[in-house]
Amino acid sequence: MRWITKKRLKSTAKAYLFLAPFLVLFIGMVVYPIGLGVKLSTYGQRGARMWYVGAENYTRIFSDSMFWQSFRIPLFLLLIQVPLMLFLATILAFLYETRRRDGAVFRFLYYLPYTIPGIVSGLVWSYIFSDSMSPLRPVLDLLGRSDVKLLTRDNVPPILLVIILWQFTGYTAFLVYSSLIAIPREYSEAAQLDGASFWQIAFRIKLPLLRDPLITMFIFNAIGAMQVFNEPWMLGGLVVLPLNYTPAMYIYNSAFSQGRFTYAAAMGIILAGLTCLFSLYILRTASKQMLGRRLE
Amino acid sequence: MKLGRRFRITVTVVLVLLAVYFIFPFYWLTIGITKNVGQLFQKSLLPGIPSHLRENVSRVFAYQDGVFFHWMGNSLLYAGVGAFMGVFIASLAGYAFRRYDFIGRRLLFVLILAFAMVPGFATTLPLFMMFRDLNLLDTRLAILLPSFVNVFGTYMMVAYWNQVSDEVFDAAEIDGANDFTIYWRIGLPNIFPGAITLFLLAFVGAWNNFFLPLVLLNSRAKMPLILGITTITDPQGFPVYNLTLTASFFTILPLLIMFISLQRYFKPQVYMR
Repeated sequence: MRWITKKRLKSTAKAYLFLAPFLVLFIGMVVYPIGLGVKLSTYGQRGARMWYVGAENYTRIFSDSMFWQSFRIPLFLLLIQVPLMLFLATILAFLYETRRRDGAVFRFLYYLPYTIPGIVSGLVWSYIFSDSMSPLRPVLDLLGRSDVKLLTRDNVPPILLVIILWQFTGYTAFLVYSSLIAIPREYSEAAQLDGASFWQIAFRIKLPLLRDPLITMFIFNAIGAMQVFNEPWMLGGLVVLPLNYTPAMYIYNSAFSQGRFTYAAAMGIILAGLTCLFSLYILRTASKQMLGRRLE
Repeated sequence: MKLGRRFRITVTVVLVLLAVYFIFPFYWLTIGITKNVGQLFQKSLLPGIPSHLRENVSRVFAYQDGVFFHWMGNSLLYAGVGAFMGVFIASLAGYAFRRYDFIGRRLLFVLILAFAMVPGFATTLPLFMMFRDLNLLDTRLAILLPSFVNVFGTYMMVAYWNQVSDEVFDAAEIDGANDFTIYWRIGLPNIFPGAITLFLLAFVGAWNNFFLPLVLLNSRAKMPLILGITTITDPQGFPVYNLTLTASFFTILPLLIMFISLQRYFKPQVYMR
């Protein structure tokens, strides 16, 4: 326990002078809106009329099958896309390592999709898969499968898989690679002397050392999967998707197509809560690392 | 590590094949903007012959009395001003964390960290209600104000400031410089590379932010590119594929140029600590 001294009060005053612009905006644009969201979520609403209902929105959400169905896409991404991408990215990072010098062009090219906004990726890929423009169409015709439709609602999940893998695999591989080159060479050299093969060294020696960054990436991608909006939104321009195709789409549509703002606010709070649950792990490690250095 | 010739060749083949997947949409977009709708429907993988590039570009520029240029200007405004203010304000906050042992320091840091994880769209809906009450809906300020708070940037700024050594500040203090001078003259140059990285990340983030303007804006003249391009239709309301593609091309072109020319500032650092 540190005493509150005159000196400490003075530095507190100075500190808050520097913090003031941030604090004002942080409270006005982040903390207050979240508080407002929590408050709204306890209100019933019809048109412009609102009244307090307590936890009624939440109990209704828990029995709203539309809400729970909207998690099918995030779950699909979480169970298929994220593990697949982390696996591919790790393999790629191992391959990058065999090409430290002349592999830069591949690392760059694979990374490039990450710079493209989700809306444009969704747009271009939805055109590439659309039955009127797809270059895959002539291939299907050649195979005598002209009857197969490409952009149907059932095909949207695999198409999302293609899009999201395209966007993030190169970026993730680059992150894994950055962690990989930080591993001291002695580790693999020792194993090599013992006659271990490339893949043995990769999976037995290096992979365990990548545990922490991989867990962190898994969490970040899990959060991304839960919030997916832009890509299905753009695909929805060419194929009819239900209002509750993803949780974020359901929240948006509840608020702006159906005018159920307070109900949507409650769903937003639930989704934010789930996100925070996922990020607890990152939060703990990050605060451990950052505080305690300097001044403390 | 010594590797066999066959292994190396296999690796090269795999890398080249994957490169096709990663480049293909760029290629398809680039040939796509040379085609009119008829040519797009031919599904060829070659550029349109004859090329309709100039026609597409001039039609995008002329669309709705040049609303495209409003979108471009808005994107530059939202991304440029938003990113600059966000990073500047974050640097001030980071400086406070580095220099002062103030009351509430630990609590505030944990709060920043916690709120850095809250998804943007959880605040978007309440922001909509808030701005509606303030009569700020469908104004440029409604897009700018939220971007002035860069919570993630503040978190990173604390890390950048932590890397500046004590001697730098001590020397300035002995010379009798006041706190703001120390921040401005002595401190800022030390964190400048980090600030540029944060600026670029915030710029790209704001340039690509679709959800916030989707919720808060109605007037097409106030939309950023990323939202504007999704509203391109013919007078009957049907999509015009070639124009949407051409406009998309111009939406990502600045990003690609920025990324390629400033590559070294885009070092990913989120996960590496």
